[in-house]
Amino acid sequence: MESAPKLIAEGITYRFGDTLALQGASLQVRPGEFVSIVGPSGCGKSTLFNVISGLLAPTSGRVTIDGRDVTGSTGHVGYMFQDDLLVPWRTVVRNIVLGAALTRGASGKDEAEARALGERYGLRGFLDHYPHALSGGMRQRVALMRTLAVHRDVLLLDEPFGALDSQTRLEMQRWLLDVWDELDRTVLFVTHDVDEAIFLADRVLVMSPRPGRIATEIAVPIPRPRGLETLTSSGFMDVKRRILSFLYGQGAA
Amino acid sequence: MRRWRRAGRLAIPVAAVVGVFVVWDLIIRVFDVQPWVVPSPGDSLRAIADDWGTLGSLTRTTVKETVLGFLAGAGIGFLLAVVMSRWSLVQRVVYPVLVASQAIPVVAIAAPLVIVLGFGLAPKLVIVAFIVFFPVVVNVLDGLASVDRDLLNLARIMDGRPLRVLALIELPATLTPLFSALKLGATYAVTGAVLGEWTASTTPGLGNYLLIQSSKQNTDAVYAAVLLLTAIGVTGFLLVLAAERVATPWRTRSTARRRRASSPVRDDGSVEEGGRP
Repeated sequence: MESAPKLIAEGITYRFGDTLALQGASLQVRPGEFVSIVGPSGCGKSTLFNVISGLLAPTSGRVTIDGRDVTGSTGHVGYMFQDDLLVPWRTVVRNIVLGAALTRGASGKDEAEARALGERYGLRGFLDHYPHALSGGMRQRVALMRTLAVHRDVLLLDEPFGALDSQTRLEMQRWLLDVWDELDRTVLFVTHDVDEAIFLADRVLVMSPRPGRIATEIAVPIPRPRGLETLTSSGFMDVKRRILSFLYGQGAA
Repeated sequence: MRRWRRAGRLAIPVAAVVGVFVVWDLIIRVFDVQPWVVPSPGDSLRAIADDWGTLGSLTRTTVKETVLGFLAGAGIGFLLAVVMSRWSLVQRVVYPVLVASQAIPVVAIAAPLVIVLGFGLAPKLVIVAFIVFFPVVVNVLDGLASVDRDLLNLARIMDGRPLRVLALIELPATLTPLFSALKLGATYAVTGAVLGEWTASTTPGLGNYLLIQSSKQNTDAVYAAVLLLTAIGVTGFLLVLAAERVATPWRTRSTARRRRASSPVRDDGSVEEGGRP
Protein backbone atom coordinates (compact mmCIF):
# COMPACT_ATOMS: atom_id res chain seq x y z
CA MET A 1 0.00 0.00 0.00
CA GLU A 2 2.77 2.40 0.93
CA SER A 3 4.04 3.87 -2.36
CA ALA A 4 6.50 6.68 -3.07
CA PRO A 5 4.87 10.11 -2.62
CA LYS A 6 3.68 11.81 -5.80
CA LEU A 7 4.14 15.31 -4.46
CA ILE A 8 6.29 16.57 -1.62
CA ALA A 9 6.49 20.13 -0.34
CA GLU A 10 9.21 20.47 2.28
CA GLY A 11 9.63 23.37 4.66
CA ILE A 12 8.08 25.97 2.36
CA THR A 13 8.70 29.48 3.67
CA TYR A 14 7.52 32.47 1.68
CA ARG A 15 8.13 36.07 2.60
CA PHE A 16 7.20 39.17 0.65
CA GLY A 17 8.38 42.43 2.12
CA ASP A 18 7.78 42.32 5.86
CA THR A 19 5.03 39.73 5.58
CA LEU A 20 5.79 36.12 6.34
CA ALA A 21 3.04 34.26 4.48
CA LEU A 22 4.28 30.71 4.95
CA GLN A 23 6.67 29.33 7.49
CA GLY A 24 7.87 25.79 7.06
CA ALA A 25 4.77 24.38 5.41
CA SER A 26 5.30 20.70 4.58
CA LEU A 27 3.05 18.10 3.01
CA GLN A 28 3.15 14.82 1.12
CA VAL A 29 0.57 13.40 -1.24
CA ARG A 30 0.47 9.81 -2.47
CA PRO A 31 -0.32 8.97 -6.10
CA GLY A 32 -4.07 9.03 -6.77
CA GLU A 33 -4.82 10.53 -3.38
CA PHE A 34 -7.38 13.28 -2.80
CA VAL A 35 -6.20 15.71 -0.12
CA SER A 36 -8.10 18.78 1.08
CA ILE A 37 -6.54 21.79 2.74
CA VAL A 38 -8.58 23.98 5.06
CA GLY A 39 -7.54 26.92 7.17
CA PRO A 40 -8.53 30.38 8.38
CA SER A 41 -8.70 33.03 5.66
CA GLY A 42 -5.38 34.69 4.99
CA CYS A 43 -3.43 31.65 6.19
CA GLY A 44 -1.52 31.41 2.92
CA LYS A 45 -3.40 28.56 1.21
CA SER A 46 -3.25 30.26 -2.15
CA THR A 47 0.38 31.26 -1.65
CA LEU A 48 1.20 27.61 -0.95
CA PHE A 49 -0.52 26.65 -4.21
CA ASN A 50 1.35 29.34 -6.08
CA VAL A 51 4.62 27.95 -4.77
CA ILE A 52 3.72 24.35 -5.61
CA SER A 53 2.66 25.38 -9.14
CA GLY A 54 5.97 27.19 -9.63
CA LEU A 55 4.33 30.57 -10.06
CA LEU A 56 6.22 31.81 -6.99
CA ALA A 57 9.71 30.74 -5.95
CA PRO A 58 9.71 30.09 -2.19
CA THR A 59 12.09 31.99 0.09
CA SER A 60 13.20 28.57 1.28
CA GLY A 61 11.98 25.01 0.91
CA ARG A 62 11.61 22.51 -1.88
CA VAL A 63 8.86 21.06 -4.07
CA THR A 64 9.29 17.67 -5.72
CA ILE A 65 6.98 15.72 -8.03
CA ASP A 66 7.85 12.03 -8.57
CA GLY A 67 11.13 12.77 -6.84
CA ARG A 68 12.08 15.52 -9.30
CA ASP A 69 12.87 18.96 -7.91
CA VAL A 70 10.42 21.38 -9.54
CA THR A 71 10.83 24.28 -7.11
CA GLY A 72 10.01 27.58 -8.82
CA SER A 73 9.44 26.07 -12.26
CA THR A 74 6.08 25.96 -14.01
CA GLY A 75 4.42 23.38 -16.26
CA HIS A 76 4.30 20.47 -13.82
CA VAL A 77 0.76 20.64 -12.44
CA GLY A 78 -2.80 21.35 -13.54
CA TYR A 79 -4.20 24.39 -11.74
CA MET A 80 -7.78 25.56 -11.34
CA PHE A 81 -8.78 28.87 -9.78
CA GLN A 82 -11.99 29.91 -8.03
CA ASP A 83 -12.68 32.18 -10.97
CA ASP A 84 -13.18 29.90 -13.97
CA LEU A 85 -10.97 32.18 -16.12
CA LEU A 86 -12.53 30.92 -19.33
CA VAL A 87 -11.39 32.87 -22.35
CA PRO A 88 -14.54 34.66 -23.62
CA TRP A 89 -13.65 34.48 -27.31
CA ARG A 90 -12.95 30.75 -27.30
CA THR A 91 -15.74 28.18 -27.42
CA VAL A 92 -15.98 25.46 -24.77
CA VAL A 93 -13.89 23.01 -26.80
CA ARG A 94 -11.31 25.62 -27.59
CA ASN A 95 -11.13 26.61 -23.95
CA ILE A 96 -10.54 22.99 -22.99
CA VAL A 97 -7.57 22.75 -25.38
CA LEU A 98 -6.11 26.07 -24.20
CA GLY A 99 -3.07 24.40 -22.62
CA ALA A 100 -2.09 22.81 -25.95
CA ALA A 101 -2.91 26.00 -27.86
CA LEU A 102 -0.58 28.05 -25.67
CA THR A 103 2.34 25.64 -25.89
CA ARG A 104 2.49 23.82 -29.23
CA GLY A 105 -0.80 24.63 -30.94
CA ALA A 106 -3.96 22.56 -30.53
CA SER A 107 -4.21 19.72 -33.04
CA GLY A 108 -7.33 18.05 -34.38
CA LYS A 109 -6.51 15.19 -32.03
CA ASP A 110 -6.52 17.57 -29.05
CA GLU A 111 -9.93 18.89 -30.08
CA ALA A 112 -11.33 15.39 -30.58
CA GLU A 113 -10.07 14.43 -27.13
CA ALA A 114 -11.59 17.59 -25.64
CA ARG A 115 -14.93 16.80 -27.26
CA ALA A 116 -14.87 13.25 -25.91
CA LEU A 117 -13.96 14.51 -22.43
CA GLY A 118 -16.65 17.19 -22.50
CA GLU A 119 -19.35 14.85 -23.73
CA ARG A 120 -18.49 12.26 -21.14
CA TYR A 121 -18.65 14.73 -18.26
CA GLY A 122 -21.81 16.68 -18.79
CA LEU A 123 -20.99 19.25 -21.47
CA ARG A 124 -22.80 17.54 -24.34
CA GLY A 125 -24.60 20.11 -26.45
CA PHE A 126 -22.49 22.97 -25.10
CA LEU A 127 -19.19 22.22 -26.76
CA ASP A 128 -19.47 24.98 -29.33
CA HIS A 129 -20.97 27.55 -26.99
CA TYR A 130 -19.11 30.63 -25.90
CA PRO A 131 -18.60 30.81 -22.10
CA HIS A 132 -21.03 33.70 -21.60
CA ALA A 133 -23.86 31.39 -22.62
CA LEU A 134 -23.10 28.93 -19.77
CA SER A 135 -24.18 28.82 -16.13
CA GLY A 136 -21.63 29.10 -13.30
CA GLY A 137 -21.61 25.35 -12.69
CA MET A 138 -21.12 24.59 -16.38
CA ARG A 139 -18.28 27.09 -16.59
CA GLN A 140 -16.50 25.35 -13.69
CA ARG A 141 -16.92 22.02 -15.48
CA VAL A 142 -15.22 23.49 -18.52
CA ALA A 143 -12.45 24.90 -16.32
CA LEU A 144 -11.84 21.46 -14.79
CA MET A 145 -11.84 19.79 -18.21
CA ARG A 146 -9.25 22.34 -19.29
CA THR A 147 -7.19 21.48 -16.22
CA LEU A 148 -7.46 17.76 -17.00
CA ALA A 149 -6.60 18.26 -20.67
CA VAL A 150 -3.07 19.45 -19.87
CA HIS A 151 -2.29 15.86 -18.77
CA ARG A 152 -0.59 16.50 -15.49
CA ASP A 153 -0.79 13.88 -12.73
CA VAL A 154 -1.13 16.48 -9.98
CA LEU A 155 -4.13 18.81 -9.92
CA LEU A 156 -4.26 21.87 -7.68
CA LEU A 157 -7.84 23.03 -7.22
CA ASP A 158 -8.05 26.38 -5.44
CA GLU A 159 -11.59 26.80 -4.09
CA PRO A 160 -13.02 25.86 -7.47
CA PHE A 161 -16.62 25.81 -6.28
CA GLY A 162 -16.36 28.76 -3.90
CA ALA A 163 -18.44 31.08 -6.06
CA LEU A 164 -21.30 28.63 -6.68
CA ASP A 165 -24.60 28.41 -4.80
CA SER A 166 -24.82 25.55 -2.32
CA GLN A 167 -27.01 23.26 -4.44
CA THR A 168 -24.84 23.60 -7.53
CA ARG A 169 -21.81 23.16 -5.34
CA LEU A 170 -23.03 19.82 -3.99
CA GLU A 171 -23.80 18.65 -7.51
CA MET A 172 -20.32 19.72 -8.62
CA GLN A 173 -18.65 17.95 -5.70
CA ARG A 174 -20.33 14.66 -6.63
CA TRP A 175 -19.42 15.24 -10.26
CA LEU A 176 -15.79 15.93 -9.30
CA LEU A 177 -15.66 12.66 -7.36
CA ASP A 178 -16.95 10.80 -10.43
CA VAL A 179 -14.28 12.39 -12.59
CA TRP A 180 -11.53 11.73 -10.05
CA ASP A 181 -12.69 8.14 -9.60
CA GLU A 182 -12.45 7.42 -13.32
CA LEU A 183 -9.29 9.36 -14.16
CA ASP A 184 -6.30 8.48 -12.08
CA ARG A 185 -5.16 11.88 -10.82
CA THR A 186 -3.69 13.18 -7.60
CA VAL A 187 -5.70 16.08 -6.23
CA LEU A 188 -4.85 18.83 -3.77
CA PHE A 189 -8.01 20.79 -3.01
CA VAL A 190 -8.13 24.09 -1.12
CA THR A 191 -11.44 25.13 0.41
CA HIS A 192 -12.80 27.11 3.34
CA ASP A 193 -15.83 24.82 3.50
CA VAL A 194 -15.15 22.06 6.03
CA ASP A 195 -18.03 19.87 4.77
CA GLU A 196 -16.66 20.08 1.26
CA ALA A 197 -13.14 19.24 2.44
CA ILE A 198 -14.31 16.10 4.24
CA PHE A 199 -16.81 14.92 1.63
CA LEU A 200 -14.18 14.89 -1.11
CA ALA A 201 -10.94 13.92 0.57
CA ASP A 202 -8.97 10.96 1.87
CA ARG A 203 -7.17 13.29 4.25
CA VAL A 204 -7.77 16.86 5.41
CA LEU A 205 -4.77 19.08 6.16
CA VAL A 206 -5.49 21.96 8.52
CA MET A 207 -3.37 25.09 8.21
CA SER A 208 -2.47 27.47 11.02
CA PRO A 209 -3.18 31.20 10.86
CA ARG A 210 -0.45 33.28 9.21
CA PRO A 211 2.41 32.55 8.96
CA GLY A 212 0.86 29.42 7.50
CA ARG A 213 2.06 25.90 7.97
CA ILE A 214 0.32 22.53 8.05
CA ALA A 215 -0.79 22.35 11.68
CA THR A 216 -2.38 18.94 11.66
CA GLU A 217 -3.64 16.18 9.44
CA ILE A 218 -6.94 14.38 9.89
CA ALA A 219 -7.74 11.17 8.00
CA VAL A 220 -11.24 10.68 6.59
CA PRO A 221 -12.01 6.99 7.10
CA ILE A 222 -15.28 7.09 5.16
CA PRO A 223 -15.59 4.41 2.46
CA ARG A 224 -16.10 5.34 -1.19
CA PRO A 225 -18.19 5.78 -3.24
CA ARG A 226 -19.70 8.44 -1.02
CA GLY A 227 -23.31 9.41 -1.50
CA LEU A 228 -25.44 12.15 0.02
CA GLU A 229 -26.05 10.05 3.16
CA THR A 230 -22.32 10.40 3.87
CA LEU A 231 -22.88 14.04 4.78
CA THR A 232 -24.99 13.12 7.79
CA SER A 233 -23.23 9.91 8.83
CA SER A 234 -21.67 9.64 12.27
CA GLY A 235 -18.22 9.07 10.76
CA PHE A 236 -18.54 12.36 8.87
CA MET A 237 -19.72 14.23 11.96
CA ASP A 238 -16.85 12.82 13.96
CA VAL A 239 -14.25 14.09 11.47
CA LYS A 240 -16.01 17.44 11.23
CA ARG A 241 -16.03 17.85 15.00
CA ARG A 242 -12.28 17.24 15.15
CA ILE A 243 -11.53 19.72 12.38
CA LEU A 244 -13.77 22.42 13.82
CA SER A 245 -12.35 22.06 17.28
CA PHE A 246 -8.89 22.37 15.84
CA LEU A 247 -9.78 25.40 13.72
CA TYR A 248 -11.60 27.23 16.46
CA GLY A 249 -9.35 26.15 19.28
CA GLN A 250 -11.92 24.43 21.52
CA GLY A 251 -9.72 22.08 23.44
CA ALA A 252 -7.52 20.18 21.04
CA ALA A 253 -5.58 23.16 19.67
CA MET B 1 -40.26 36.21 -37.17
CA ARG B 2 -36.53 36.68 -36.96
CA ARG B 3 -36.38 38.34 -40.38
CA TRP B 4 -39.09 40.80 -39.31
CA ARG B 5 -37.22 41.70 -36.18
CA ARG B 6 -34.10 42.30 -38.24
CA ALA B 7 -36.06 44.47 -40.64
CA GLY B 8 -37.38 46.41 -37.64
CA ARG B 9 -33.89 47.00 -36.32
CA LEU B 10 -32.89 48.46 -39.68
CA ALA B 11 -36.08 50.45 -40.17
CA ILE B 12 -35.70 52.58 -37.04
CA PRO B 13 -32.36 54.23 -37.89
CA VAL B 14 -33.41 54.69 -41.50
CA ALA B 15 -36.62 56.35 -40.34
CA ALA B 16 -34.59 58.59 -38.02
CA VAL B 17 -32.41 59.82 -40.89
CA VAL B 18 -35.47 60.40 -43.07
CA GLY B 19 -37.00 62.24 -40.11
CA VAL B 20 -34.05 64.66 -39.97
CA PHE B 21 -34.56 65.49 -43.65
CA VAL B 22 -38.30 65.99 -43.10
CA VAL B 23 -37.74 68.35 -40.15
CA TRP B 24 -35.09 70.24 -42.13
CA ASP B 25 -37.56 70.63 -45.01
CA LEU B 26 -40.40 71.70 -42.69
CA ILE B 27 -38.27 74.39 -41.05
CA ILE B 28 -37.37 75.82 -44.46
CA ARG B 29 -41.05 75.91 -45.47
CA VAL B 30 -42.57 77.12 -42.20
CA PHE B 31 -40.05 79.95 -41.64
CA ASP B 32 -39.73 80.65 -45.35
CA VAL B 33 -35.93 80.42 -45.25
CA GLN B 34 -34.35 81.70 -48.48
CA PRO B 35 -32.40 79.08 -50.51
CA TRP B 36 -29.22 81.20 -50.46
CA VAL B 37 -29.30 81.13 -46.64
CA VAL B 38 -30.11 77.45 -46.17
CA PRO B 39 -31.18 75.33 -49.13
CA SER B 40 -33.85 72.66 -48.72
CA PRO B 41 -32.81 69.00 -48.66
CA GLY B 42 -34.34 68.64 -52.10
CA ASP B 43 -32.21 71.48 -53.48
CA SER B 44 -29.07 70.02 -51.88
CA LEU B 45 -29.71 66.55 -53.28
CA ARG B 46 -30.47 68.07 -56.67
CA ALA B 47 -27.15 69.94 -56.53
CA ILE B 48 -25.41 66.59 -56.04
CA ALA B 49 -27.19 65.09 -59.02
CA ASP B 50 -26.62 68.13 -61.25
CA ASP B 51 -22.89 68.34 -60.60
CA TRP B 52 -22.20 64.62 -60.18
CA GLY B 53 -19.62 64.70 -62.98
CA THR B 54 -17.39 66.85 -60.77
CA LEU B 55 -18.58 65.70 -57.34
CA GLY B 56 -18.16 62.02 -58.13
CA SER B 57 -14.43 62.27 -58.76
CA LEU B 58 -13.93 64.70 -55.83
CA THR B 59 -15.71 62.20 -53.57
CA ARG B 60 -13.39 59.45 -54.77
CA THR B 61 -10.35 61.55 -53.85
CA THR B 62 -11.68 62.36 -50.38
CA VAL B 63 -12.71 58.74 -49.76
CA LYS B 64 -9.23 57.61 -50.76
CA GLU B 65 -7.59 60.06 -48.32
CA THR B 66 -9.99 59.10 -45.55
CA VAL B 67 -9.67 55.33 -45.96
CA LEU B 68 -5.89 55.22 -46.40
CA GLY B 69 -5.30 57.69 -43.56
CA PHE B 70 -7.70 55.74 -41.34
CA LEU B 71 -5.98 52.42 -42.03
CA ALA B 72 -2.53 53.92 -41.50
CA GLY B 73 -3.60 55.61 -38.24
CA ALA B 74 -5.31 52.48 -36.92
CA GLY B 75 -2.36 50.25 -37.86
CA ILE B 76 0.28 52.55 -36.39
CA GLY B 77 -1.81 53.11 -33.25
CA PHE B 78 -2.31 49.39 -32.71
CA LEU B 79 1.35 48.50 -33.19
CA LEU B 80 2.48 51.38 -31.00
CA ALA B 81 0.14 50.28 -28.20
CA VAL B 82 1.40 46.68 -28.35
CA VAL B 83 5.04 47.81 -28.29
CA MET B 84 4.32 50.22 -25.44
CA SER B 85 2.63 47.52 -23.37
CA ARG B 86 5.54 45.12 -23.91
CA TRP B 87 8.27 47.55 -22.88
CA SER B 88 7.23 49.83 -20.06
CA LEU B 89 10.23 52.10 -20.68
CA VAL B 90 8.93 52.82 -24.19
CA GLN B 91 5.52 53.54 -22.71
CA ARG B 92 6.92 55.96 -20.13
CA VAL B 93 8.88 57.84 -22.78
CA VAL B 94 6.37 57.81 -25.62
CA TYR B 95 3.04 58.23 -23.84
CA PRO B 96 3.53 61.84 -22.65
CA VAL B 97 4.77 62.78 -26.13
CA LEU B 98 1.62 61.31 -27.66
CA VAL B 99 -0.62 63.16 -25.23
CA ALA B 100 1.20 66.42 -25.95
CA SER B 101 0.94 65.80 -29.70
CA GLN B 102 -2.83 65.69 -29.40
CA ALA B 103 -2.88 69.12 -27.82
CA ILE B 104 -1.49 70.57 -31.06
CA PRO B 105 -4.36 72.03 -33.10
CA VAL B 106 -4.54 69.97 -36.28
CA VAL B 107 -5.22 73.12 -38.31
CA ALA B 108 -1.91 74.52 -37.12
CA ILE B 109 0.15 71.59 -38.40
CA ALA B 110 -1.64 71.36 -41.74
CA ALA B 111 0.24 74.28 -43.35
CA PRO B 112 3.76 73.27 -42.23
CA LEU B 113 3.02 69.71 -43.37
CA VAL B 114 2.45 70.98 -46.89
CA ILE B 115 5.90 72.55 -46.85
CA VAL B 116 7.42 69.25 -45.85
CA LEU B 117 5.24 66.80 -47.77
CA GLY B 118 4.00 68.76 -50.78
CA PHE B 119 0.53 69.24 -52.23
CA GLY B 120 -0.30 65.62 -52.95
CA LEU B 121 -1.86 62.77 -50.96
CA ALA B 122 0.80 62.57 -48.25
CA PRO B 123 -0.10 65.52 -45.96
CA LYS B 124 -3.78 64.50 -45.98
CA LEU B 125 -2.92 60.94 -44.96
CA VAL B 126 -0.72 62.22 -42.17
CA ILE B 127 -3.47 64.45 -40.80
CA VAL B 128 -6.14 61.74 -40.95
CA ALA B 129 -3.80 59.19 -39.41
CA PHE B 130 -2.79 61.70 -36.73
CA ILE B 131 -6.44 62.09 -35.70
CA VAL B 132 -7.29 58.38 -35.83
CA PHE B 133 -4.27 56.85 -34.13
CA PHE B 134 -4.58 58.46 -30.70
CA PRO B 135 -7.89 56.92 -29.53
CA VAL B 136 -6.63 53.61 -30.93
CA VAL B 137 -3.43 53.76 -28.83
CA VAL B 138 -5.32 54.68 -25.66
CA ASN B 139 -8.03 52.05 -26.08
CA VAL B 140 -5.73 49.21 -27.12
CA LEU B 141 -3.48 49.96 -24.13
CA ASP B 142 -6.54 49.81 -21.88
CA GLY B 143 -7.55 46.50 -23.46
CA LEU B 144 -4.10 45.02 -22.88
CA ALA B 145 -4.07 46.24 -19.27
CA SER B 146 -7.52 44.76 -18.63
CA VAL B 147 -6.43 41.14 -19.18
CA ASP B 148 -7.06 39.22 -15.95
CA ARG B 149 -3.78 38.73 -14.02
CA ASP B 150 -4.90 35.26 -12.99
CA LEU B 151 -5.50 34.28 -16.60
CA LEU B 152 -1.93 35.30 -17.40
CA ASN B 153 -0.78 33.33 -14.34
CA LEU B 154 -2.71 30.33 -15.60
CA ALA B 155 -0.98 30.70 -18.98
CA ARG B 156 2.36 30.68 -17.15
CA ILE B 157 1.42 27.60 -15.14
CA MET B 158 0.56 25.92 -18.45
CA ASP B 159 4.04 26.92 -19.71
CA GLY B 160 2.46 29.06 -22.44
CA ARG B 161 4.85 30.56 -25.01
CA PRO B 162 4.89 34.36 -24.77
CA LEU B 163 3.98 34.91 -28.43
CA ARG B 164 1.09 32.46 -28.25
CA VAL B 165 -0.17 34.07 -25.05
CA LEU B 166 0.00 37.43 -26.82
CA ALA B 167 -1.86 36.14 -29.87
CA LEU B 168 -4.51 34.04 -28.11
CA ILE B 169 -5.15 35.91 -24.87
CA GLU B 170 -3.83 39.47 -24.90
CA LEU B 171 -4.53 40.70 -28.44
CA PRO B 172 -8.13 39.40 -28.62
CA ALA B 173 -8.79 41.32 -25.38
CA THR B 174 -8.07 44.55 -27.26
CA LEU B 175 -10.71 43.98 -29.95
CA THR B 176 -13.69 45.45 -28.13
CA PRO B 177 -11.93 48.69 -27.08
CA LEU B 178 -10.17 48.81 -30.47
CA PHE B 179 -13.48 48.85 -32.28
CA SER B 180 -14.78 51.60 -30.00
CA ALA B 181 -11.80 53.70 -31.07
CA LEU B 182 -12.28 52.78 -34.73
CA LYS B 183 -15.92 53.88 -34.63
CA LEU B 184 -14.83 57.30 -33.35
CA GLY B 185 -12.00 57.35 -35.87
CA ALA B 186 -14.25 56.54 -38.82
CA THR B 187 -16.25 59.71 -38.26
CA TYR B 188 -13.30 61.95 -37.31
CA ALA B 189 -11.27 60.78 -40.29
CA VAL B 190 -13.49 62.67 -42.76
CA THR B 191 -12.89 65.94 -40.91
CA GLY B 192 -9.17 65.24 -41.08
CA ALA B 193 -9.30 64.77 -44.84
CA VAL B 194 -11.22 68.04 -45.28
CA LEU B 195 -8.73 69.94 -43.10
CA GLY B 196 -5.90 68.49 -45.16
CA GLU B 197 -7.49 69.63 -48.38
CA TRP B 198 -8.11 73.12 -47.07
CA THR B 199 -4.47 74.07 -46.84
CA ALA B 200 -3.49 73.43 -50.41
CA SER B 201 -3.93 70.64 -52.87
CA THR B 202 -3.12 69.67 -56.39
CA THR B 203 -5.49 66.71 -56.14
CA PRO B 204 -8.78 68.40 -55.23
CA GLY B 205 -11.41 66.68 -53.11
CA LEU B 206 -14.70 67.62 -51.50
CA GLY B 207 -12.91 69.89 -49.01
CA ASN B 208 -11.53 72.08 -51.79
CA TYR B 209 -14.92 72.13 -53.50
CA LEU B 210 -16.52 73.19 -50.21
CA LEU B 211 -14.11 76.10 -49.89
CA ILE B 212 -14.55 77.29 -53.46
CA GLN B 213 -18.36 77.07 -53.48
CA SER B 214 -18.53 78.74 -50.10
CA SER B 215 -16.55 81.75 -51.37
CA LYS B 216 -19.01 81.96 -54.29
CA GLN B 217 -21.95 81.87 -51.84
CA ASN B 218 -23.20 78.73 -53.65
CA THR B 219 -25.02 77.38 -50.61
CA ASP B 220 -26.73 74.45 -52.28
CA ALA B 221 -23.36 73.23 -53.60
CA VAL B 222 -21.88 73.67 -50.11
CA TYR B 223 -24.69 71.60 -48.62
CA ALA B 224 -24.29 69.03 -51.37
CA ALA B 225 -20.63 68.60 -50.38
CA VAL B 226 -21.53 68.44 -46.68
CA LEU B 227 -24.11 65.72 -47.38
CA LEU B 228 -21.53 63.71 -49.30
CA LEU B 229 -18.95 64.12 -46.51
CA THR B 230 -21.53 62.99 -43.97
CA ALA B 231 -22.35 59.99 -46.12
CA ILE B 232 -18.66 59.04 -46.22
CA GLY B 233 -18.43 59.25 -42.42
CA VAL B 234 -21.62 57.25 -41.85
CA THR B 235 -20.59 54.58 -44.37
CA GLY B 236 -17.20 54.29 -42.65
CA PHE B 237 -18.91 53.92 -39.29
CA LEU B 238 -21.23 51.21 -40.62
CA LEU B 239 -18.33 49.33 -42.18
CA VAL B 240 -16.49 49.36 -38.84
CA LEU B 241 -19.66 48.13 -37.14
CA ALA B 242 -19.95 45.25 -39.63
CA ALA B 243 -16.27 44.38 -39.20
CA GLU B 244 -16.78 44.36 -35.42
CA ARG B 245 -19.62 41.85 -35.67
CA VAL B 246 -17.48 39.55 -37.79
CA ALA B 247 -14.36 39.94 -35.63
CA THR B 248 -16.04 39.51 -32.22
CA PRO B 249 -18.72 36.85 -32.72
CA TRP B 250 -18.70 35.92 -29.01
CA ARG B 251 -20.31 39.23 -28.14
CA THR B 252 -23.43 38.66 -30.19
CA ARG B 253 -23.73 34.88 -30.57
CA SER B 254 -24.01 32.09 -28.03
CA THR B 255 -22.37 29.47 -30.24
CA ALA B 256 -19.62 29.53 -32.81
CA ARG B 257 -20.42 28.74 -36.40
CA ARG B 258 -19.50 25.06 -36.70
CA ARG B 259 -17.25 23.96 -39.47
CA ARG B 260 -18.62 20.45 -39.27
CA ALA B 261 -22.25 19.40 -38.91
CA SER B 262 -23.46 19.76 -35.34
CA SER B 263 -25.67 17.41 -33.38
CA PRO B 264 -29.33 18.31 -33.02
CA VAL B 265 -29.27 19.05 -29.32
CA ARG B 266 -31.46 21.73 -27.87
CA ASP B 267 -30.03 24.83 -26.29
CA ASP B 268 -30.62 23.66 -22.72
CA GLY B 269 -28.62 20.53 -23.46
CA SER B 270 -31.52 18.13 -23.16
CA VAL B 271 -32.14 15.58 -25.88
CA GLU B 272 -35.64 14.23 -26.18
CA GLU B 273 -35.59 10.47 -25.99
CA GLY B 274 -38.05 9.16 -28.55
CA GLY B 275 -41.01 10.64 -26.70
CA ARG B 276 -42.83 12.04 -29.67
CA PRO B 277 -43.27 10.20 -32.96
